[in-house]
Amino acid sequence: MIKVENLRKEFKKTVKEPGLAGSFKSLFHPKSERVVAVNDISFHVPKGEILGFIGPNGAGKSTVIKMLTGILTPTSGTCTINGKNPTENRKSYVKEIGVVFGQRTQLWWDLPLRETYGVLKEMYEVPDDSYKERMSFLNEVLELEAFITSPVRTLSLGQRMRADIAASLLHSPKVLFLDEPTIGLDVVVKDNIRKAIAQINEREQTTVILTTHDLADIELLADRIVMIDKGSNVFDGTISELKSRYGRIRELHLETNTKNAEKALGYREHFHFSDDDLKVEQEGSSVKVRFNSDTVSVSDMLAYTLKMVNVKDISVKDADIEEIIRRLYRQGV
Amino acid sequence: MTKKLRIYRAFLSAGMQEVSTYRVNWIFYMAGNVMACFVSYFIWKAVFLSGNNNSLNGFTMSQMIVYIFLMFLTSTMTSSGGTYDIGEEIRDGTIAMRMIKPISYNATFLFQELGNKIMTICLLIIPMVIGVEAVRYNFTGEVQFEITNFLIYVVSCVFAYLINFFFNISFGFIAFVIKYLWGANMMKNCIVGFLSGTVIPLSFLPSGLEKICLLLPFASLNYTPVMIYLGIYKGSTLLYYLGLQLFWVLVLWGLSKLIWKISTKHLTVQGG
Repeated sequence: MIKVENLRKEFKKTVKEPGLAGSFKSLFHPKSERVVAVNDISFHVPKGEILGFIGPNGAGKSTVIKMLTGILTPTSGTCTINGKNPTENRKSYVKEIGVVFGQRTQLWWDLPLRETYGVLKEMYEVPDDSYKERMSFLNEVLELEAFITSPVRTLSLGQRMRADIAASLLHSPKVLFLDEPTIGLDVVVKDNIRKAIAQINEREQTTVILTTHDLADIELLADRIVMIDKGSNVFDGTISELKSRYGRIRELHLETNTKNAEKALGYREHFHFSDDDLKVEQEGSSVKVRFNSDTVSVSDMLAYTLKMVNVKDISVKDADIEEIIRRLYRQGV
Repeated sequence: MTKKLRIYRAFLSAGMQEVSTYRVNWIFYMAGNVMACFVSYFIWKAVFLSGNNNSLNGFTMSQMIVYIFLMFLTSTMTSSGGTYDIGEEIRDGTIAMRMIKPISYNATFLFQELGNKIMTICLLIIPMVIGVEAVRYNFTGEVQFEITNFLIYVVSCVFAYLINFFFNISFGFIAFVIKYLWGANMMKNCIVGFLSGTVIPLSFLPSGLEKICLLLPFASLNYTPVMIYLGIYKGSTLLYYLGLQLFWVLVLWGLSKLIWKISTKHLTVQGG
C-alpha cells in the first residue's frame, strides 16, 4: 500500500552569524550549509493500518509527510503509494489521498464552511448522491451541523479541525495523512476526533498515517509505531513491542508518613540505578517511584521498600508509553 | 471540459464573494486608485500650462487627459495581484494546501482573480467609460465613442490581462528562491509601470527605445488597448498588435508552466 524506501531530503540553509554585524555580513556574503532533514528512512504500511508516526520536534516527521503527499520532492529514495509516485503525477495522485495539517487549514477562510465542501465536491468529482450520503455521515461523526453556515474565520479551533478532517474525507480517500490533528484541542474534542478516525478506518479500511505529540492518540489509535529522530528510523513495531524492547519501566506508588522518602529509601545507593532508570517524586504522603524492572526485579524492589519505610499502602503498575518515549527522546537512541 | 469548468467556476464565485466580504477594503482600494489618477492629471496639467506649446510630443493637453483616464481604466481591468498572492503563500507556506488538491495551481489563481475582476468591472466600467467620454466631449464638442473600437478594446484588455497574469505568476515563483517578495515586487511594479506606458506615453520615448518597448510584452498590457480605444491603431497595425498580444499570452503561459515545473522540484515549505 505505502512503500517508503531510503527516503532522503536535504535543504540548503542560510547561516546567519550572530548579532547586527553578522546580519550585515550575511546580507552581502550569505553562507549556506546543507541540512539533512530526512536521512534514509524506510517503512511499509499495509492497507487499513493506522500508523503512528512519532518523533521529537524537528525529527523530520513533517518533511516525510510532505514528501508522501507530493508537496516536496525527495532528494533521493522513493515512496510509492497505491503504486503511484506522489511527485510524478501530482493531480491524479492527490485524488486518492486526504490530508490534514493541524497547523494550517484547507478551508476557504472567508467563505461559509458549506461553500468549501461544495468546491471540494467539484474538485474531486463526487457525484451528487454520494456527496449527500457522505455529508450526512461526516455530520454525524464530526457534528458539523452547528457551524456549517458560518464563515471559516469565525470557527473555533476545535470546530475548524473537525471541519478540516471532514474536508479531507469528503472524497473517501484510500489514504489519510494526519499531521498533528489534535494539536491545541481540548479533551472532549480530542476524544471525538479520535473516535471519528477510528470509525472511518474501520468502516472504509482507510490507511491512516498519523503524526502527533499526544501519545494518547497513538495508544488509542495506532496499530503500529514508526519513530524517527534526527531524520532516521529509530523504531518500527507495535506498542507492545516498544514496551518490551525498551526497558520494562514500572511505577511504584506508596503512601508513607516518612517525610523525605527518597533519602530514607536510598534506592540509588542500594541498587546502583543509573539516572535514567530511576525517578522518585514525593507529594505529601504519596510517593511515586519509576524504575527499570530489568535492573532490579519488582519483588526485590517491593521487599526493600517495605523494609526501609513505614508503608500504609502500596501498588505497582506498568508505566505508560509516555514514559518510554520520554526516555527514548532524551537518549536519542 | 465541462467538469473542469465547474471546478473553476467555484473559484470564480469564491473570488466574487471575497470582494463582497471585504467591501470596505475594496472601496478604499478603488478610491486610492482614483486619487492617484487625479494626481497625475494635475501633474500633466501643470506641465502643459508651464510650457509655451499647445502640444507635447504630439499630444495636446486634451489628448493627454483622455490618455491618463483611459490608462487608469485599462490598468484597473488588466491588473493582476498574482505576484503578491503567490509570494505570500510561499512565505507562510499555505502553498502546500493548494498542492494537495487535484487542480492546476495557476488556474485556481486565475479564476479566483477573474471573479474579483468581474465584480470590479461590473461596478466600474460603465461610470468610467462615461467619464472618459465626457472628458473627450468636453474638449472636442462631439461624441467620439465608437462601439467597434470599444469592443476590440475589450478583447485587447482580455489578452492584456492574461499576459499580466502569467507574467505575474512567473515572477511570483521567484519567491521560491528569495523567500520574500515584497521588495522585488516593488521594483517590478516600477519597471512595468514605465515600460507599459502607464507613467508616460511610450511615444514620448526616443524612437529607438520606443520601438523596443512596443515589442516587449509590457506595452501590450496597457498601451496597446489604450491606442485601440483611441482609434490610433487601425487596420493592419491593429491586427499586428493584437497578434503580438496573443503571441505574448502564449509565451508567458508556457513560461509560467515551465517555471512551475522547475520550482516545485526545489520547493521548500516554510513554517512547520
